[in-house]
Amino acid sequence: MRMPLAMLNEKEEATVVEVKGGKGLVRRLSELGLTPGAKVKVLFSNSPGPAVIDVRGSKIALGRGLLMRIFVVPEVETH
Amino acid sequence: MIEVALIGNPNVGKSLLFNVLTGGKAHVGNWPGKTVEKKEGICRYKGEEMRIVDLPGTYSLTAHSIDELIARDYIVKEKPDVVIDIVDASNLERNLYLTLQLLELEANVVIALNKYDIAKSLGYKIDVDELSRILGVRVIPTVATTKEGIDKLLEAVLEAAKEKKRRRVSIGYGKAAEKLISRIERTILKDKDLSSRYPTRWLAIKILEGDEEILKEVEKSRFRNEILEVIR
Repeated sequence: MRMPLAMLNEKEEATVVEVKGGKGLVRRLSELGLTPGAKVKVLFSNSPGPAVIDVRGSKIALGRGLLMRIFVVPEVETH
Repeated sequence: MIEVALIGNPNVGKSLLFNVLTGGKAHVGNWPGKTVEKKEGICRYKGEEMRIVDLPGTYSLTAHSIDELIARDYIVKEKPDVVIDIVDASNLERNLYLTLQLLELEANVVIALNKYDIAKSLGYKIDVDELSRILGVRVIPTVATTKEGIDKLLEAVLEAAKEKKRRRVSIGYGKAAEKLISRIERTILKDKDLSSRYPTRWLAIKILEGDEEILKEVEKSRFRNEILEVIR
């Protein structure tokens, strides 16, 4: 199920499927490693404030507005 | 004196390598007109003196942030003899993005494949020779924390500095884009001043991308209408 990255809780993991935004934003976020297929993990979330995420081995902080534009499919927990 | 710039993503061990190369003696100032720290030091190796300039850590060389712009301007305008691109061997994919941008800028790149010990302990096997062949530049595994590979890196820097001719590797963007790139390149070549200051292919790509800093440069050209016509 796809949802904005902003909806994820701390410690949850997901895969990026799409960045909704203009050319500049899509490029900027892809430079930071947020491309479709990239695995992300929420390290710290200060909802409704910014969050720190791990993407491709780097920690980056993103504001809520940006987090709403990054669409992900959460990892399904298998028990 | 050989001028060497250090560049790399954040957290690849760039500052540590800078200290290893310069013996920790750095001249610290600011980049002209910008409150971004500029570190410079001297490295002596086999009777050669190298001036090492530490560039801000960046993921990319677009004109988004002041750090990126400083790094890019330095490489384009000051044209250092060699650019050491420090790549985190334990995170190759992400790091090679910046490498490709440096190659596109036609910088004289030597790659320091740093944190090589960590990559090995993670079980990664990197074919260093093949990587060097694909990218057309020297690739030296290093571990800045133990100074492993530093002599080899300096050897490679001296060799690269002496070379006049370099093999250029270019990244293809597919038929449609390539057609536009070469059309823009042809018009850029008419402006001798512009084409002597920038690599023409890189300039053409940046114009297509709509890079603001570059478009400002092009606006000053006598041939601006011809150049910009392609993207209208």
